[in-house]
Amino acid sequence: MEDKPHKAHRASQSGNKAEKKAKGKGKEKQHGFNEKAFAPKSGRRADKQGRRTAEKDQTRLHVPLVNRTPDEDPPPVIVAIVGPGGVGKTTLLKSLVRRYTKQTLSEAKGPITVVSGKKRRLTFIECNNDLNSMIDIGKIADLVLLMIDGSFGFEMETFEFLNILQSHGFPKVIGVLTHLDLIKKADTLRATKKTLKKRFWGEIYQGAKLFYLSGVINGRYPDTEIQNLSRFIGVMKFRPLVFRNAHPYMLADRLEDLTPRELVRTTKGKCDRTVTVYGYLRGTNLRLGTKVHIPGVGDLDVKNVTPLGDPCPLPNADSEKRRKLSEKKKLLIHAPMSDVGGVMYDKDAVWINVPGNFTRGNTDILQGEGEQMVMDLQDVSSTLEDAVAKSQIRLFSSSSNPLTAESYAAHAQEDDEDYSDVESDSDAEREAYEDSDDEDDDDGMDEDLASHPQNTGRTSMRTTTRGVPGSSKTRSNVEYADSDSDLGEDDDDVRVRFPGDEKDRDIPSDDDGESMEDPEDDDDEDEEDVPQWKANLAQRALDLSSSRKPKRKDWTKLIYTTELTPEQILNGDKQEAEDIQPEDDDDFFKVKAKFVEIDDVADRAKESPDTEGLKKWEDEDLLEELKRLFITGTDETAEGETEWKGAEGEEDDEEQGGEEDGEQGPETSKAAALAAKKEALKRKFDEQYDDPSEPTVDFYTERKDEIARQLALNRAEFEGIDAEARALVEGFRPGTYVRIELRNVPAEMVENFDPTFPIVVGGLLPAEERFGYVQVRIKRHRWYGRTLKNNDPLILSLGWRRFQTIPIYSLDDHSIRMRMLKYTPEHMHCFATFYGPVSLPNTGFCAFNSLSEGTAGFRISATGVVLDVDRSVKIVKKIKLTGVPLKIWKNTAFVKDMFSSALEVAKFEGANIKTVSGIRGQVKKALPKPDGAFRATFEDKILKSDIVFLRAWYSIQPRKFYNPVTSLLLSDKKSWKGMRLTGTVRREDGIKTPLDVNSTYKKVERAPRRFNPLFVSQKLQAALPYASKPKIMKPQRTQTYLQKRAVVMEPEEKKAVALLQQIRALRKDQVSRRKDKKGEKRDLKARKDKKLEERKTEKEKERKKDVMRMIGQKQSREADAEDGHGRHKRRKTK
Amino acid sequence: MAQPTSLIQYSGHEHFRSRVVLSILSGRHVKIDRIRSEDKNPGLRDFEVSFLRLVEKVTNGTIIEISVTGSAILVKPGIIAGGPVQHECPLSRSIGYFLEPVIMMAPFSKRPLLLTLKGITTDEHDLSVDLLRTVTLPHLQFFGISDGLELRIKKRGSPPNGGGEVQFLCPVVKQVKTINFTDAGKIKRIRGIAHAVRVSPQFSNRMIEASRSVLNRYIPDIYLYSDVYKGEESGKSPGYALSLLAESTTGALHCSEALSEPGVVPEDIALKATRALLSEIERGGCVDRQHQILVLLLMVLGSEDVGKVLMGEPTLRTIQFLRDVKDFFGTSFKIISANSSDPECKQLVFSCYGTGYINSNRTLA
Repeated sequence: MEDKPHKAHRASQSGNKAEKKAKGKGKEKQHGFNEKAFAPKSGRRADKQGRRTAEKDQTRLHVPLVNRTPDEDPPPVIVAIVGPGGVGKTTLLKSLVRRYTKQTLSEAKGPITVVSGKKRRLTFIECNNDLNSMIDIGKIADLVLLMIDGSFGFEMETFEFLNILQSHGFPKVIGVLTHLDLIKKADTLRATKKTLKKRFWGEIYQGAKLFYLSGVINGRYPDTEIQNLSRFIGVMKFRPLVFRNAHPYMLADRLEDLTPRELVRTTKGKCDRTVTVYGYLRGTNLRLGTKVHIPGVGDLDVKNVTPLGDPCPLPNADSEKRRKLSEKKKLLIHAPMSDVGGVMYDKDAVWINVPGNFTRGNTDILQGEGEQMVMDLQDVSSTLEDAVAKSQIRLFSSSSNPLTAESYAAHAQEDDEDYSDVESDSDAEREAYEDSDDEDDDDGMDEDLASHPQNTGRTSMRTTTRGVPGSSKTRSNVEYADSDSDLGEDDDDVRVRFPGDEKDRDIPSDDDGESMEDPEDDDDEDEEDVPQWKANLAQRALDLSSSRKPKRKDWTKLIYTTELTPEQILNGDKQEAEDIQPEDDDDFFKVKAKFVEIDDVADRAKESPDTEGLKKWEDEDLLEELKRLFITGTDETAEGETEWKGAEGEEDDEEQGGEEDGEQGPETSKAAALAAKKEALKRKFDEQYDDPSEPTVDFYTERKDEIARQLALNRAEFEGIDAEARALVEGFRPGTYVRIELRNVPAEMVENFDPTFPIVVGGLLPAEERFGYVQVRIKRHRWYGRTLKNNDPLILSLGWRRFQTIPIYSLDDHSIRMRMLKYTPEHMHCFATFYGPVSLPNTGFCAFNSLSEGTAGFRISATGVVLDVDRSVKIVKKIKLTGVPLKIWKNTAFVKDMFSSALEVAKFEGANIKTVSGIRGQVKKALPKPDGAFRATFEDKILKSDIVFLRAWYSIQPRKFYNPVTSLLLSDKKSWKGMRLTGTVRREDGIKTPLDVNSTYKKVERAPRRFNPLFVSQKLQAALPYASKPKIMKPQRTQTYLQKRAVVMEPEEKKAVALLQQIRALRKDQVSRRKDKKGEKRDLKARKDKKLEERKTEKEKERKKDVMRMIGQKQSREADAEDGHGRHKRRKTK
Repeated sequence: MAQPTSLIQYSGHEHFRSRVVLSILSGRHVKIDRIRSEDKNPGLRDFEVSFLRLVEKVTNGTIIEISVTGSAILVKPGIIAGGPVQHECPLSRSIGYFLEPVIMMAPFSKRPLLLTLKGITTDEHDLSVDLLRTVTLPHLQFFGISDGLELRIKKRGSPPNGGGEVQFLCPVVKQVKTINFTDAGKIKRIRGIAHAVRVSPQFSNRMIEASRSVLNRYIPDIYLYSDVYKGEESGKSPGYALSLLAESTTGALHCSEALSEPGVVPEDIALKATRALLSEIERGGCVDRQHQILVLLLMVLGSEDVGKVLMGEPTLRTIQFLRDVKDFFGTSFKIISANSSDPECKQLVFSCYGTGYINSNRTLA
């Protein structure tokens, strides 16, 4: 509203105003910027100002990061809409979708991808109010629309989500305040906005964007406000986040179960499934052979990745024109889980929603996509089988005889024995699936036909072997397969009949076509009994190869695609290579053993000296010839130089090559070369001497340039390489829409699939697949109510994963040892070590004690960062062994009860010990009797009553407990339960805590200590000097003078004493009376307090009653909501 | 709990070290069987066992299972720990055999490695410690591994009795830099070290003279040092050797060496080394044959960018290594001729897309 751009001011060029202005032009100069006024007055001040500006410049800079997302065709930006229940997330989502596509969704589920501009696509996803979903969304969202109920204020979920973001790399956040129409008073509204903004800024950063959405009109937010918001989303810039810049990931917008139905049926749905997920790749390139982790499911193997056509492509120059024409009609949207155009893709079905009634003949009503699909299906007149029978396959465009497949029915008898029923069933099933995704697979139909072995028949007994994809393998009449069901497995091969041919042939499908065309490979088969079609092929290949000029070695191919040994590759002996082509694995090794004699010094860096080869250097000419390679050598023409310059100079080479081709005489080329050389020299000279004026590039720009250069190089390297080869070398790039097939997915994921819970497919680095002990720096969250206890299970969200583990807390003790802590310290970091999947050092994480909704208060219990990964840990805790003296000499004592055997003592010989009173000593040697007693020496004589301590360190290992949070596998995804504490288990199961008798506290009975009187012998006393002699006197028996004298007082004296006595009596009385009074008062107050207390408890009781009543109502409401209606439950902040 | 990482299997005793190194760097289990199973004396040799022991010392948590006959091993890699390590190398192979693979692993360890190796410093099978110091370590500098990288030759030890000692210090890196080295430049300087232990020190001078007689024609910047170790430092056996290296204007290094043989005069040894150097220079490229593997490995481990290096034809080791790298890391190289217009050009440009390998062993604590 306030952000609406104002019209720019245009000064009038003529008229009164202009004249007035022209008049005042002379004066204006005085008001202008006065440089002198701001010039520093002193040198010191100038210095200070200079430094300050420099500092400001530096703080503005951020560490340059490489952005791995390609500039052209980037993946859609993920815009997550997050907030507590009932805040208006779905309304906002629908409004935004409507804004971009002019479509109203009745059910917005799962990711929704739209095109927002020429260079940008957006994927909207609504995050439900579940902590697991919030964690997953927080890890992938590029932009978060954080929704806050303006009429209510911040709720705990908002803060929890912000803290999750903080520990996993902070994406951009835009706050959205809703329900502002509920605040009626303008003043209150302004005040609310202000306070909420202040808090929001405090949480994110000063000046973070906060939007206000007023009311809901027609189930949407006002169009102007939404347009405003969409503008901000449109221009948002994103900084790459470190974790996402090192991992490939995907937000699945569709999930499909490919498991054969029969298998599912026979196992009653319990078998592991094969599942495909679809989505845009993000982050870095997805390499082949990497594992992925789906948070909530677990680590999964990728069976294969197929790039698909972009379902929601960015407009290119071509489509842009068209789009303008049809803009009003339809805008692109890709949301398979929602019901766009009445079609919704579920895990195993496609739902077509037909509004009202539907009649086939009714053409005047515009049909939706789904209705069209159904009608097309109804229109099909021929079966798939017919289509196959009719189709003709030509191996080469020039082939004269098309290959035809005979009908299946004709040879049904033979096939009965060949193919098991299960196989055919499952294949048919699979086909049905692949047909259903026709919109993604343009050529899906063709592939399906090709990969369906049942469609061919045969007339005679089968003589061919199992088809092998590579054509380089020999084909002889060997029976490989024991059971025929094996044959069906290899989908790549098709049995196709030639007209007039008796035998069946294996023909590799078009995947292998490339290798077939390779002349080298085909040579292999020439000698053998070659099938008809292949003979033709070989002939063709031979012709082809003879016409081609001699080719140089293709190293990439020789190394990676052939099975030649390195020796053969180097020597280039083709013939030998063919001879030893392995037929099967057993043969392979035999052949190898034949010519590789065992060389003890294999695996050497230096090759054996080639004395013959070195002899050539005795030739003087050759030595002279080598001079060109030295700087002192005669400089040759540019040609010679470029030869050494390598690939970078390739363009130059070509240019020069071109020149040379068209050269008229040697003179011109010489002149050109000379000119080029001069140019180069001049440039070099300029670089060295001429450009002192050029500003020196600072570190920042240098680094940025370097990054840009490398990215340009990366782009250049893969330009013009076809997509498949490119995928092999660098993997699938971010921005590609792919289908990832996952193996062995738990059945529950498919069974309990719910589109409102995001499925994130996170790629794992090789190191992250491993397990080990992870040391982290951890700090209890200051809003979390309790301290964390050692060895209590904790749920961590680390990397892609969410898992429960058991950490051991520790602190560095004087850099000597890691000492275990029983509890996490307050307001301080400590270390924690747990067993779990490895994460790279510096990865942030957050921890939870429980993920369930019922927990009151803040649920994030700790945050931290990974420090170290290791295979062993060394954490110790203190252990004190105690013993008592058995016998004491001067400084030596026998100590018992510390150890139980002499062996144990032997282990501790020389260990330091200490008594309670602080006398230090050492373990000396074990005593023969009693067992475990030993001799020890001390620095002083110890007492019999002393307890002797031995302080030692006991090393502890974290428990090897790793329990992934498999929330997506549950039918109720919010109710995941991990390992519980013993106390919780006891409480929930009603088990009493076992009480050990020895653990109970008992009154300690100590015998009173009796000390003998100090006795100094007469003889010794006599020898002592007087000062040291004990002076022992008998107690006084007779009365002393003071005691026995009589006192007679004078009358005045008597009077005075009497008076004093009276005064004292009075005083006593006064004091006692005062005391009584005070006591009375105290009683009164106590009575009063008691009354107050009673009243208070009464009130408390009533309040509690109220609360309980409310909770009861809430629960009943929730129960209603679970039946299908009612608003979401909301947990409020206190 | 811990899912078994996919196992990679190999047969035969060849390329033993590189496979173990790749296993440790990639974290994938490797099983090597049929190790000299057809031999009269089957199984691992003493130096191979010693190498496995060294790997166990350098790493933490590595489990190496050797079969009863010694003809099959299973390596379950742990993490590279580094720190101070001492190892006694057997006399069947020189220190180079053990140091070469350690150099590949050491930058990715938890703590800086301080490795002391004792044994033979120069032999005819592996790189001598002189070349490792002057050529191999500068190769690491291309990848940003330089500060604190050092190889100290404490004592020299010639075969057969050895008695040498070297100290290898290697810093820890987070990630290696991407290399883009396609300009071989021209040779600008030649350096060499001639050493003679327990023989007349005159031998090294004779070698230098002979070598100069060939090399002097090319370039004036030739320094051939005569490195003399005396007494305790000279090991237990007599011997002498000459190692040469040529450096180009862009920093490309080519090296060669030759060591004493019974019945051959020092002059011939020197000529052998010199001519080997000339062949190496003629072969061209930015990386010589002995270091192809090291450079290619570090390229694979680079950041997720394209690295490019110009080399001569790959050696047998390199070819197998490229295949092994594909098994372990899934990375394949693009190998094209440096000069596509010239069919006789033997220079090849190896380029690959780095795996973005980040040293996960590195500790922040």
